[in-house]
Amino acid sequence: MTIIKVENLNKTFKVKQKEKGLKGSIKSIIKPKLNEIKAVKDINFSVDEGEMIAFIGPNGAGKSTTIKMLTGILYPDSGSIEVLGINPTKQRKKLSYEIGTVFGQKEQLWMHLTVYDNLKFFGAIYDISERETEERIKELSKLFDLQEFINTPVRNLSLGQRIRCEIVAALIHRPKVLFLDEPTIGLDPVVKENIRKLIKRMNNEYHTTVFLTSHDVSDIEKLCKRVIIINNGQIVLDDSMTNLKYHYLDKKVIEVKLKKKVDFNSVDGIKVLKSKENNLKIEIDTKKTDLTTVLRLIDPENIIDINISNTPLEEIISQIYRKE
Amino acid sequence: MKKYLYIYKSEIMSSLQYIFNILLNMVGYTVLVFIFFNLWDYIYEDASQLINGYTKNQMIWYIIVTEMLWQASGARKLCRKICEDVRGGNIAYNINKPYSYIGYVISSHLGEMTIKALITIIVGIIFGMIFLNELPQISLIGIIIVLISAFLSILINTILVTAIGLLSFTIEDASPIYWLYSKVILILGTMFPMEFFPKIIQTIVRFSPIYAISYGPARLFVNFDIKNAVVILITQMIYVGIALGISNILYKKGVKKLNVNGG
Amino acid sequence: MLTVVKDIKNQLKVTCISIKYALMREMINKASFLMNIIFMILNNSCFIIQWIVIYSLKSEIGGYSFKQILLLWGISASTYGFAHFFFKKSFSLSDTITNGKLDSFLVQPKNVLISAITSEVEVSAIGDMIYGYILLFLSDINIFKFVLFTLFTICGGIVITDFAVIFASLSFWIGKSDTVADTANDLITNFSTYPDGIFKGLSKILLYTIIPVGITTYIPVKMLTEFKISLTAIVIVMSIILTLLTFGIFYKGLKKYSSSNLMISKI
Repeated sequence: MTIIKVENLNKTFKVKQKEKGLKGSIKSIIKPKLNEIKAVKDINFSVDEGEMIAFIGPNGAGKSTTIKMLTGILYPDSGSIEVLGINPTKQRKKLSYEIGTVFGQKEQLWMHLTVYDNLKFFGAIYDISERETEERIKELSKLFDLQEFINTPVRNLSLGQRIRCEIVAALIHRPKVLFLDEPTIGLDPVVKENIRKLIKRMNNEYHTTVFLTSHDVSDIEKLCKRVIIINNGQIVLDDSMTNLKYHYLDKKVIEVKLKKKVDFNSVDGIKVLKSKENNLKIEIDTKKTDLTTVLRLIDPENIIDINISNTPLEEIISQIYRKE
Repeated sequence: MKKYLYIYKSEIMSSLQYIFNILLNMVGYTVLVFIFFNLWDYIYEDASQLINGYTKNQMIWYIIVTEMLWQASGARKLCRKICEDVRGGNIAYNINKPYSYIGYVISSHLGEMTIKALITIIVGIIFGMIFLNELPQISLIGIIIVLISAFLSILINTILVTAIGLLSFTIEDASPIYWLYSKVILILGTMFPMEFFPKIIQTIVRFSPIYAISYGPARLFVNFDIKNAVVILITQMIYVGIALGISNILYKKGVKKLNVNGG
Repeated sequence: MLTVVKDIKNQLKVTCISIKYALMREMINKASFLMNIIFMILNNSCFIIQWIVIYSLKSEIGGYSFKQILLLWGISASTYGFAHFFFKKSFSLSDTITNGKLDSFLVQPKNVLISAITSEVEVSAIGDMIYGYILLFLSDINIFKFVLFTLFTICGGIVITDFAVIFASLSFWIGKSDTVADTANDLITNFSTYPDGIFKGLSKILLYTIIPVGITTYIPVKMLTEFKISLTAIVIVMSIILTLLTFGIFYKGLKKYSSSNLMISKI
């Protein structure tokens, strides 16, 4: 079943330009210079029920703009959006009962209240009866290990605990889709890992569809089966994670420490990245030459140490960005 | 001294960016003066009537000037800034910088206010000319002395408000103190010349900063008198000294407390 | 119909909790909480001196006796207090809009405007409300006047809020407009503490139309002295119309909302 359907979506922002100094100030009042910035250009995609989808791209690519249009925060200029069959622009309220949102950079919680009071507030916002709210809090706090700080004011929590609570608060009304905008921004690696586990557990438990934007490639690698890459407002790739790896993993990197130097420069498909005395770092294009050929060039007796690796996903993605 | 002048100049430059806001503030100033114009127009039966020694035009000019001085000192903003500096801990970063915090605050605030002060003066004079058709009788030298006195008034107000802001070191929130300060000046200095109050209050006003901040310069403008001018200027200089002393003591005490608490 | 009633009930419930929580936040520091209230009462009391001086010069000002001036001040203070206590954020709504802080309210199934403006309370405004009622008790008071005064406080407070929201909504179209909104709000505060009788001609017409001080203050003072059902009804009807208009303008602007994407780039 299709949960999110986006067709020919467009959004343009007008940005006021201001010149320096007094003259510039007066000029910008009388005749403001407006620059149009196309944040989202004609994008199309759809998401199925229960999917965990990663929506990634560099800063200013249009990720947040898209997620904000999907959740009814921004009005699109043209194109159509359907989330659970609801048009976010026209039926914002109706949609908000069905979706949950977490914006990593913006708190939705009351800082001076305990986690428990916060969750009760969100229960009231979504018109859930008190008894029902209590039950859901019990269930969620068990599932997401909130018990130890459920009665602590939010401002006394660590950043990681706080984000955990933000996510739980977004789940109190059992949304069918969860939108996460940079949920792990500013967190340390251990906490990031925890949050990822939590999101996965939620997806398993409730079959919630997850739409996630992030800078952090490891977020995506570990969580999502499908990835959409957006750059300059356009979708440049929409594929499964395995395909992405398969298609773009045509390069291998070999680092070897040798007893005697070997010359690779003449071989087609091999690029020497680094060569320092007997230490070598080479990149192999597997479309042009296969790994066995390369290994045959190195006498096993000659090897002190060897390490063969894939190009990191991060690099693959930045390659995709650069191509566009 | 040179660095404070530089701070002052760069604040003037950056205040130019907000020229539109300054012009909007003038709407507020004009409305206030307009209300007082209507009020006194209603109270005075005719133009020749004297109330407590003031003609109608003198009374309205008095308010144009005092209101101008208050607007041009931007006291509320300054107080809020210092309270935030103290409470937010920003002030700790200023301790080991090679300038005095008070010198910095005063020069940057005066810089921020200079353009606004000039525009307020122009707007005030235009308002007076349109609604009253005449300037008070004053010579060119008189005008120069009034301008000096006006500058001193804004300077004293700035330093005193700085001192009030520095009280946030000791009490959690200094803004209630500021409210009272501003209201006392408003009622006893801005709205009425001190001749409108009973003798005892007149004496209090005479020996309070209100005399240096509001009454003095405004009185000089509506009824210039060289002997009075000398008294007012000397009083103002003394107040600059006193105010600087108080705010320095408060700052030093506050910083000591900061060191003890480790910021 | 039933769902509408339920909607309103749920909205009211959430609004009440929101205001309660916001108040709790302010009460964490009890000393500064009380000080803010008490000093605001003192602050307002200073103006009595102004009117004592003025009434020592003339026995009536703009058709108002001294007691009526107290009533004028009472109504002004309580409407101001009501608006600033319950709807504090409407007076900085321009910032909320330009900084993209409406986002979190937009994803909730409640009225965006109401959620946004009730998310904070102003403590000192409690002092304004108390002061307003103190002045009411100083004039001739009976139960009827007390009820009437409360009615006008609510209507006037809502009108002041409407006015603030309308000006703040300009931000949707022209970007940062906080100074415009502040100037407009100060206009109401300044005019509402002087009797309308001192104004003539155009300014008087403005006070009963574009600057709604007539509705928030002048008519209420007259009604508290000499009650007329027709003028009271006008105040109520006008507040409702203005509120509907405000919601209309805000929601029209909301379509232009650009979250945190609105930037001014400098060359």
